[in-house]
Amino acid sequence: MNNPILQINIKYKVFGTHNGSNLRVMEDIKMNIDKGEFACIVGPSGCGKTTLLNIIAGLDRSYCGEILYKNRKIADCGPDRIMIFQELALFPWLTVQSNVEFGLKIKGFSREKRERIALEYLEMVHLTKFKNACVHELSGGMKQRVALARALALQPEILLMDEPFSALDAQTRDTLHEELQKIWSMTKQTVVFVTHNVREAVCLGDKVYVFSAGPSSTIKATFPIHIARPRYIESEGLMEQVRAVLAELRFEIKKSYDKEFA
Amino acid sequence: MTKNLLNSALLKQLGFYCVLLLAWHIISKARVWPDYLFPSLGTVFSTLESGFRDHTFLIGILTSLKRLFLGFAFSVTLGGVLGVALVKFKLLEETLGGLILGLQTMPSICWFPLALLWFGLGENAIIFVVIMGSLFSITMAVHSAIKSIPPMIIGAGKNMGARRITLLLWVMLPAAVPSLLIGARQSWSFAWRSLMAGELLFNSQGLGFLLNIGRDLNDMSQVIAVMLIITLISVLIDKLFFGKLESSVKRRWGLKRKF
Repeated sequence: MNNPILQINIKYKVFGTHNGSNLRVMEDIKMNIDKGEFACIVGPSGCGKTTLLNIIAGLDRSYCGEILYKNRKIADCGPDRIMIFQELALFPWLTVQSNVEFGLKIKGFSREKRERIALEYLEMVHLTKFKNACVHELSGGMKQRVALARALALQPEILLMDEPFSALDAQTRDTLHEELQKIWSMTKQTVVFVTHNVREAVCLGDKVYVFSAGPSSTIKATFPIHIARPRYIESEGLMEQVRAVLAELRFEIKKSYDKEFA
Repeated sequence: MTKNLLNSALLKQLGFYCVLLLAWHIISKARVWPDYLFPSLGTVFSTLESGFRDHTFLIGILTSLKRLFLGFAFSVTLGGVLGVALVKFKLLEETLGGLILGLQTMPSICWFPLALLWFGLGENAIIFVVIMGSLFSITMAVHSAIKSIPPMIIGAGKNMGARRITLLLWVMLPAAVPSLLIGARQSWSFAWRSLMAGELLFNSQGLGFLLNIGRDLNDMSQVIAVMLIITLISVLIDKLFFGKLESSVKRRWGLKRKF
């Protein structure tokens, strides 16, 4: 595929700090993400990974540069680019099913259609039994699966995931990695996945992008991952890739510490 | 467990009130103070009984509740609109916001002279005071409730395509419900206090008026009887209405403490 679905070209992004000075967080970030690609982004804290997702989602528009989505500049947020947030942004006043139906309701779908779609995706994440539960009654992993179902139900072209599994325990995370791969192999959505966890990135991604330390972060290295799917953390060849990515990342993390403590 | 706790708490309260009534009885029997200053339990109860029998108290209660309801409903409507407007328009927040905060601290009964001159000695003046007593507190409550919604929730709503009206009605307002309820609970008590103060100051049926009649006739048993009724209404509205609403919202949202 020669024409990427996302062409990212951010010259820089400026944050105002509390003492009035400006902080440049990103510098010349160029990425081309193909349709159906699972792109993972790792990088030291504060390098602008989450900001990049917000920009792609259209939630953040104060940057200098250009992001082309299907060859058109992103002007607003829309249900074709759905974000799954780090801290789950499920709506506590709605039941599980109503949460999944929310975006469909805004799209103006009829009640029957909403229900049918919601149940279909709840089944995909194995939560049909909990459709009438309140959000707070679910475990962390279940909440994350509701968030996934809510995002998938809108059939977005691009799924933006901001450290979605970072708050989960290791077993739940492994299970969700498998489920996510299974679902992704069916839906073939484009995914941009931000994480701190290199193993997670290598396990899930077609490509792993390593960001350099912020401020003025940029893309340090790109690693295409060619290991056969479905992958597990113990899959053959995975460890070598993880080592290679970690070598780059450690260097950047050390740099960001040195800057902080200088 | 909770059931037992509830029962024992109820038992303690019952015991407490029994002791209180007993103390009252003993003091009035001992004639520490003359009867016209400290009436016996029996006198107060017979006043209550005759007051309800000739409908004076019932009319008083209904009149006061009607004023409270009208004034509070007006405050909630206008305060809701004002609160949302303050969030939406930065300029309004920076200018009107400060004024409202200032006006909120003014005792509402200070509006009474103005109300009398504007509306004359009547129903409207009292309702105006009730509105002034609760409007600013509701406005600030709506404003801060919307402001304190986690940005992630609003981001998720926008991300899924909610805009302006849908974002306000389907995301921001429901997300603000727990803090809105706390604000409403506080504001209604402001409205109630303003109403009582207003009714005390002029002849217009209502509970405050009945209280004043008691004083004019030097009838302490009526004063105490009406105070009991006012307390009871406060408790009923606060604990039964707002309390129940709040706990059902808390249950739904999972805000109840688990340990």
